[in-house]
Amino acid sequence: MNATIEVRGLRKRYGSTVAVDGLSFTVEPGQVTGFVGPNGAGKSSTMRMIMGMDRPDEGSALIGGRPYRTLRSPLCQVGALLDASAVHPGRRARDHLLWMAHSNGLPVRRVDEVIDLVGLRPVARRAAGGFSLGMRQRLGIAAALIGDPAVLMFDEPVNGLDPEGITWIRGLLRSLAAEGRAVLVSSHLMSELEGSADHLVVIGRGRVVADTSVQELLTAASSGRVMLRTGRRQEAMTVLANAGASVAANGPDTLTVSGLAAERIVALLNEGGVSFSGIAEHRASLEEAYMELTRDAVDFRGATGAAGGPGSADADGTAAGGAGGSASSSASAGREQR
Amino acid sequence: MTTTTTRFQSSVSGVRDDGAFVSTGRLVRAEWTKFRSVRRWILGVLAMAVLTVGMGLFIASGSGTDANTRPEEVTVGPGGARVHDVFQFTHRPLQGDGGITARVTSLKSADGREMAGWAKAGVIIKAGTKPGSTYAAVMVTPGHGVRLQSDFTNDVAGKSRAIPGWLRLVRAGTSVTGYESADGRTWRKVGTVTLPELPQRAEIGLFATSPGVFKVQREFGSTSVGQSTSVVAATFDGVDVQSRQQAASWNNTVVSPSRAGGDEFQGNDFQGTQSAGTFTLRGQGDIAPRPDGDDPVRLPFTGVMIGMIAAIALGVLFITAEYKRGMIRTSFAASPRRGRVLAAKAIVISAVTFATGLVATVILFFASQPVLRSGGFAPPAFPEPSLTEPRIMRAVVGTALFLALVAVFSLGVGTILRRSAGAIAGIITLLVLPTIIASALPISAATWMMRLTPAAGLSIQQTSRHYPQVESVCVPEDGCYYSEPWAGIGVLVAYTAVALGLAYWLLRRRDA
Repeated sequence: MNATIEVRGLRKRYGSTVAVDGLSFTVEPGQVTGFVGPNGAGKSSTMRMIMGMDRPDEGSALIGGRPYRTLRSPLCQVGALLDASAVHPGRRARDHLLWMAHSNGLPVRRVDEVIDLVGLRPVARRAAGGFSLGMRQRLGIAAALIGDPAVLMFDEPVNGLDPEGITWIRGLLRSLAAEGRAVLVSSHLMSELEGSADHLVVIGRGRVVADTSVQELLTAASSGRVMLRTGRRQEAMTVLANAGASVAANGPDTLTVSGLAAERIVALLNEGGVSFSGIAEHRASLEEAYMELTRDAVDFRGATGAAGGPGSADADGTAAGGAGGSASSSASAGREQR
Repeated sequence: MTTTTTRFQSSVSGVRDDGAFVSTGRLVRAEWTKFRSVRRWILGVLAMAVLTVGMGLFIASGSGTDANTRPEEVTVGPGGARVHDVFQFTHRPLQGDGGITARVTSLKSADGREMAGWAKAGVIIKAGTKPGSTYAAVMVTPGHGVRLQSDFTNDVAGKSRAIPGWLRLVRAGTSVTGYESADGRTWRKVGTVTLPELPQRAEIGLFATSPGVFKVQREFGSTSVGQSTSVVAATFDGVDVQSRQQAASWNNTVVSPSRAGGDEFQGNDFQGTQSAGTFTLRGQGDIAPRPDGDDPVRLPFTGVMIGMIAAIALGVLFITAEYKRGMIRTSFAASPRRGRVLAAKAIVISAVTFATGLVATVILFFASQPVLRSGGFAPPAFPEPSLTEPRIMRAVVGTALFLALVAVFSLGVGTILRRSAGAIAGIITLLVLPTIIASALPISAATWMMRLTPAAGLSIQQTSRHYPQVESVCVPEDGCYYSEPWAGIGVLVAYTAVALGLAYWLLRRRDA
């Protein structure tokens, strides 16, 4: 089977709400594709349509070229974690996996293999109702992996996981992709995908905002900015501005310079006799890049009359960045953009 | 792109498309794993069995009869079945072969009351005057024309419906042939019967009798079925006994298990007179099989009305529990062909409830026998029932089948509504409410209401034997919604099929 997910012109309306509005993207094998967008952007709806749960009003979602509903032993082709709490609370974890194995004619050994893989061995014979959200996430991941499928979809898999669990799942996603599988991971927080996603499909209001590799996105967002720390801010700004750079002050002794390479800046400052205590090429975080994209999406949002327009979108972004926490320099980047 | 793409090879050999049968088989296994792995459901199916047996024994212990103390209840015919054998008999002995011819000139009510359709008068040959002894008779009836009847259960229809009419009975060995004629000259054979127990010396003659007319009285919560007596008078002429012996004189006997003129009968209910070749016979009673009035085998099985509630809950929860937690999506992810998931669920829930229900009804049948016997439901008025009798087997298996169908019906309704509480309450109402309302309605309205609701399936529990030549009343309280026990199950099957069909259609159409 060709391990891909192809979404073509997908459209879905629930009542008067358009949840997915002409979405098209492809999830390629061998990489982790992040599926990002704010809550309500249509990520879960899209995943449900890929899984054949909801019928699209228009367009199609194909797995290896076929609609999900035509797959014969689907668990061997697609594994999905859509909702971690979708287990009967009275059923033991192992029995939950066991019925899934039976339904697709899988050997019972797979049940024990995936239990070990997600580390649920000690609680496998306990009722799932007593599980913490993190344990249920692991059970859901075990269920997705039971058929050893070439295509995997995880809807918000790090929700409820402790830091150790988050590290574990990032490693798992990377290794699954390295085995040549197509992995689609949704999140409403870009920071959660930092370090695990290779490719990003960013959506907003049911439409694709960006479909790009993480590499390209970061390069574009960083675009030659250099962070400069100096006690002589005024002189430095004059020297660099005269050389054609655009300079912004971020703090009492820091400047962001763009339009000049770092080596050139060092040379100019030395020539002008301006001392500085530090210089670093700025590496944009995914969060910053996401913010950049969200800002573009704001125009589109403005059409529906969001009060305050850009301001409200930025507020969302800052909140998201703060929650992400681990991304360095994201907070200062936020201020810079103001 | 930093990763070099390797082509993924799954370690699990995906199952090929094995066709509907194998794939449904896998889903059945999956659904069975789902069912057995929820302890509450296992307890639920056990509760269904325990409630059915417990309630059944409770009902059995509260029932009783004094039938064995009444002699007319315990007359037994040649086949061992309980019979009615009460009539006015004007007779003389007949040694060996011979016959009798007579014309019935009238058959009328003698007490001014309504006459039963199965009132009867005619010629008869009988082993003797002992009630329950073997006989053959050809007769006229007001409602059913000429009949040839023998040994209580055999009944052959003649052609004529006219009174006056000629009748003839001819004995040759153990076979007896009945004839009818409009004019006494051209005779038509009605039929020939064999009476293995008929002795060389038999009694031959005229008879008249009539069953009572049923009166059903209903008030809210109680129904009484009464039979008012109906006395008829028949006149005969042209009476001629063909015999090789000298003509003997006529005797008049009231054939009855109790003494004529005793408590059961009034003095003028029976009379036999003759003058100038005209015989007049007055009588009441019947010569017929006695239908089982009470149905003691069925009684304990009505406990299923309580056990049924567990079956309803199981059927509904088997699907609504999945909707409640979104687990239905996992099920449909594992099998996108939703119709097969529904089919597998129906197979599992019906098999579980049927098997458990059958164990419960077999236990209940045996456990209830001593309870019923101590309540008076004992031989000879109530012959010992055996599980191997088809009518008993039908009630035992049918009750389990009822539970299974109710569970599948509930599964269908649960799928349609996707809400546990509403579906369970709705189905219980649909099944229980009619039986409560029925007792307050006129009998025909009650019967029709029960026929049209899923509870009609309970009519499979009837074990009473019915005979076409005996009038019997069918009241819903006795589980008699259909006189044919299987017909009611057909109604429940139809309800179940419609619920499943609608559920299937909605499943395919709806977003999960």
